[in-house]
Amino acid sequence: MQLKIKIKSGWNNTSLFGIVLIAPLLLWIVVMIVYPLISSIWMSLTDVDFLGINSNFVGISNYIELITDVEFWTAMGKSMIWTIGNALLQLILGFTTALIINQQFKGKSFVRIWIILSWIIPTIVLAIIWRWILNSSFGILNYILQLFNFVEQPIDFLGSFQLAMPTVIFINTWRWFPFLAIIILAALQTIPVEQYNAASIDGANSFQKFIYITFPMMRPTLSVLGLIGTLWSINIFDVIYMLTRGGPAGATETIPVFVYQKAFQEYAMNKASAAAVILFLFLSVFVVFYFKIEPTFREDNFLN
Amino acid sequence: MKKVGSILLVMGFLVGVVSFAVFGQQVEIKIWHMEQPPHRVKVFQEVIDQFNQNNPDIFVKQQVLDWMNAYQKTIAAIQARQAPEILFTLPDFTTVIKQTGAVQPVDELFMELDQKYDFIEAAVKPYAYDGHIWAIPTYGMIHMMWYRKDLFAQAGLDPDNPPRTWEQLLTTIEQLEENGITGIGVPASYHMYTDQAIYSFMIAGGSHQIFNENGEIVFDNPKTVRTFEFYQQLVDHSPQGITGWSWAEPQLAFNNGTIAIAIEKGQFLSPFEEESGVDGSNLGVAPVPYPADGQRGSIYYPNGMMILTTDQAKLAAVKKFLNYLYEPEVNGKWFSMEPGLFLPVTNATLNSESFWSNPIVAQYQDLVKLMIEQSEYGRLFGFNHQSVNQNIGKIAGQYILAQTVQEMVVKGLSPEEAIKWGEEKMKEAIK
Repeated sequence: MQLKIKIKSGWNNTSLFGIVLIAPLLLWIVVMIVYPLISSIWMSLTDVDFLGINSNFVGISNYIELITDVEFWTAMGKSMIWTIGNALLQLILGFTTALIINQQFKGKSFVRIWIILSWIIPTIVLAIIWRWILNSSFGILNYILQLFNFVEQPIDFLGSFQLAMPTVIFINTWRWFPFLAIIILAALQTIPVEQYNAASIDGANSFQKFIYITFPMMRPTLSVLGLIGTLWSINIFDVIYMLTRGGPAGATETIPVFVYQKAFQEYAMNKASAAAVILFLFLSVFVVFYFKIEPTFREDNFLN
Repeated sequence: MKKVGSILLVMGFLVGVVSFAVFGQQVEIKIWHMEQPPHRVKVFQEVIDQFNQNNPDIFVKQQVLDWMNAYQKTIAAIQARQAPEILFTLPDFTTVIKQTGAVQPVDELFMELDQKYDFIEAAVKPYAYDGHIWAIPTYGMIHMMWYRKDLFAQAGLDPDNPPRTWEQLLTTIEQLEENGITGIGVPASYHMYTDQAIYSFMIAGGSHQIFNENGEIVFDNPKTVRTFEFYQQLVDHSPQGITGWSWAEPQLAFNNGTIAIAIEKGQFLSPFEEESGVDGSNLGVAPVPYPADGQRGSIYYPNGMMILTTDQAKLAAVKKFLNYLYEPEVNGKWFSMEPGLFLPVTNATLNSESFWSNPIVAQYQDLVKLMIEQSEYGRLFGFNHQSVNQNIGKIAGQYILAQTVQEMVVKGLSPEEAIKWGEEKMKEAIK
């Protein structure tokens, strides 16, 4: 009786209003995230081929097949190369660019605006432009390289097993580093100029200022970028697929491309779902690990 | 009085609108096809417009798909109950889409059209199995060896005597190269074009059987190895970039003189003069060369139309539209969307004025006749036995032949290793 009263008194108008406010978001999460996730997990435990056609429960056999499949681990390896390659290149270029455009120079506003151009180009346009530029038969890059005698034969950037992955990483970096540069620039501008002035009075050189002032002050921003960037990067499908379709001969087949090929090229929706679930688990573990080791995300730092 | 009149006028208008909405609804027919180039879409639209104009109760609408994602989009559309009423197809594509249960047998409609227009048997055969006909053939496409007579002459070769055998082909290429001309361009991309090109050489080399009579994969055999070895030689003579080739690149390279020989279908006719800047008489065509102990032949695709609706009103509309489309006058005009690429599949169109009077077909009449003749030697993987092997769609849909070529060309596997890889991949696909 007492409990009943407690619950009853707990449901006041404010609580109801709160529930009404969060209900749309909860509904969205259930429909757009929870349902597809549960659906994927279910499909990964069946022998479904085409979507929804004749499926039987097969337990974890899809997972066993996948983890003993060389192609899956090759794709996992490609995903690692892709993610680390992008992270390093984008960080170096983004940081360098941010430091440059944080200086005072003529035309700074123009540079700051137009630097994000590559980021706002739709992916399909970007893919077509780069495929044309790099085309070994009629691309402008090979034309220039041959015109100035840098190479004798045109280079098949996207068609070579060795060059395809670095090329695709370069193109993705070209697209995203300005975004990083803008975020880093915004963070750089929050560092009080007095700290640099004080360091100058104490005789610190530029490198010391960077190590002892800029970098520590930037750490929270870089930590967040590191986390979000990794999650985004590893899940990128569009740029790779539009440029190479995962080829040539699997040279750029990362896990998202592998999932797509399994689902829509090989019609193995079950194995595609299993691969997607493994990727989901892998990323979840990564996030937990990242939160544990990165001081920025410790609870006391959050509270501060 | 004026007010009452206005009210009556408005009411009359509303009644008219509601009546049209309720009783005057058009039957809409969606057609999905894979003929992407804008000029083909334009001609097809003209054909459709004429039908729509004469049949106000039906509205036919075309939508274009890319072959590279036709499998995925079609299956997704069927699952979402958004499939078109008419879906263009190839024999291997049909075997896959049929498994969704959405493809309707077209026996009755086929018989009706056959009585009027007389279909060529080779075009129907790949669609006839399991006791039914699963698609109405639309047009045929055949692979040929295209060559530039002007470049042959420049290299001191006889332009009217193209290579007939594999040995002659290699000698010709070498002679062209000695004169600074890249002899040939063959694809090595993850694309349907590569599937088609390698299979044309497999037919010529006598290794056209991917399955045996029992439906087992027999891809890994000495004749296939020999064909892949020969193909690797052609790749070595091809220009850079072939690992990314789709339909446009070889035509561009051929027309701008980068390569002297290409293996492709009949779309080379139409733009040749304009793009190459030389007279049309410099365009040569010949059957795909074959080895001394091989056979004449190349890949032949009878395209078709599947029907994916069971709605009686829509079926009646589809029937009316197809009866219109196969009238030789209309059929001939329709094929003018890419003269020479689309070869007639009915004797009515084959003997019609409307087909042969097209300016491009008329200009290259001998070449078109040779293509029609070559069609008699045409084959298609998975359709070489009495019964159709319906697993072929899973192999064709993944472009496993093209993937095998890539393993050899891009990864550097030997032909034997690549073929072993391909056979395993095929077995995995049909498991």
